[in-house]
Amino acid sequence: MDLDGDGHRDILSGSYSRNEGSMAGLFQVLYGKADGTFKKAAVLTGTDDKPLIIPADDNDQVTDKICTRPFAADWDGDGKLDLVVGNFAGTFYWFKGEGKGKFAPRPEQIKAGAKPLKIAGVHSDPFVTDWDADGDLDLVSGSSDGGVYWAENTAGKGKPPALKPFETLIGPPPNWGKTGGGVKPLREGDVTRPTYATRVWVDDVNGDGKLDLLVGDSVTLVSPAKGLSDEEMITKAGEWQEEFKKAQAAITALQVAEEKEAKKKDAKDKEETKEQKEAREKKEKELRQAYEESNKLYQKRAEFMKEEMTGFVWLYLQK
Amino acid sequence: MKPRLLAALGLAAAAAPAGAADFEAPVRLKGGEAAIRVEAPGYACPTWADVDGDGKKDLIVGQFAKGKMQVFKNLGGLKFAAGEWLKAEGKVAEVPGVW
Repeated sequence: MDLDGDGHRDILSGSYSRNEGSMAGLFQVLYGKADGTFKKAAVLTGTDDKPLIIPADDNDQVTDKICTRPFAADWDGDGKLDLVVGNFAGTFYWFKGEGKGKFAPRPEQIKAGAKPLKIAGVHSDPFVTDWDADGDLDLVSGSSDGGVYWAENTAGKGKPPALKPFETLIGPPPNWGKTGGGVKPLREGDVTRPTYATRVWVDDVNGDGKLDLLVGDSVTLVSPAKGLSDEEMITKAGEWQEEFKKAQAAITALQVAEEKEAKKKDAKDKEETKEQKEAREKKEKELRQAYEESNKLYQKRAEFMKEEMTGFVWLYLQK
Repeated sequence: MKPRLLAALGLAAAAAPAGAADFEAPVRLKGGEAAIRVEAPGYACPTWADVDGDGKKDLIVGQFAKGKMQVFKNLGGLKFAAGEWLKAEGKVAEVPGVW
């Protein structure tokens, strides 16, 4: 999209955090140059020259501010590009465009009727397009749950959008690789559709006049560690899970004991006796050790299974 | 409790895919001979745009790790060349704020 209207295509991205201060995703733009190449990423600012951030008022969660996807489109129909953005929490906001890549500093929340538009799962992923070809812009979104959803705009062309709640275009996937909480191999060939954290792009990819979906995802592939068969991995994983459950239970027990102790102490006096201090420190050490054990145990999974985190790109052609 | 549960079930049934669109089975796209993949921890994010100016839209795939993007040149017929990292000012482009 040509964000600043200079005739060159730009790349617009969200981000997780600004790496300083409280967590907040900034918008980053790789502005296009005349020769078709791109400049390095630059932080997008509002008309107040401050970095654009999805606002979190005092009572808002920080997850509102982590931008999982921005999309530039003329949302309000005034002829200028606006920014429609998604966040970790799964809601949607839009920043009004003032032209030439300038945006109002504070966004408005996007609603479906009177309620905030919210995706099933989290990680909203807005793509603005006239999905049902009725002349107005609808909102299509991926989700952490692996589905793809569509919020129909019923306002009509050129009017402020009026969205309906999300409808399912593609439902979430079956629970790959899990049978009753157990571990089993999940190889590339076993995965036949998007798994989690879908990111959607809508276009007529095969040129038949109908809009198709390009869907990116996230998945953890599982295979046995070197030298092990599938069955050996499954057995070892089962044993490991039992051990891990015990380690978790031990931590919980220690935490509960510690809380009880702390309450007792509050109820009595503030001054801690030498014995009490020693007992407390012993308990704290036990808890630290339990955490270490649990972490070590977690790392041990690599002895019997290989886990590969990756993501694929899927094409759904519309019939 | 029971009527509420039934109501909830009824709602779930009504909200099931109503056929807003009908799709062919999903196809995993390849770059060259191999399935397109992104680096750990995943989070593939596709974009469809002509970045090489040949008049055909290409597939650009972003990922979480360092905010890097791969370009898969559109060879026609839903075939794509092997991926190359998108560059900015001569270096592999990165989007700050992801890691």
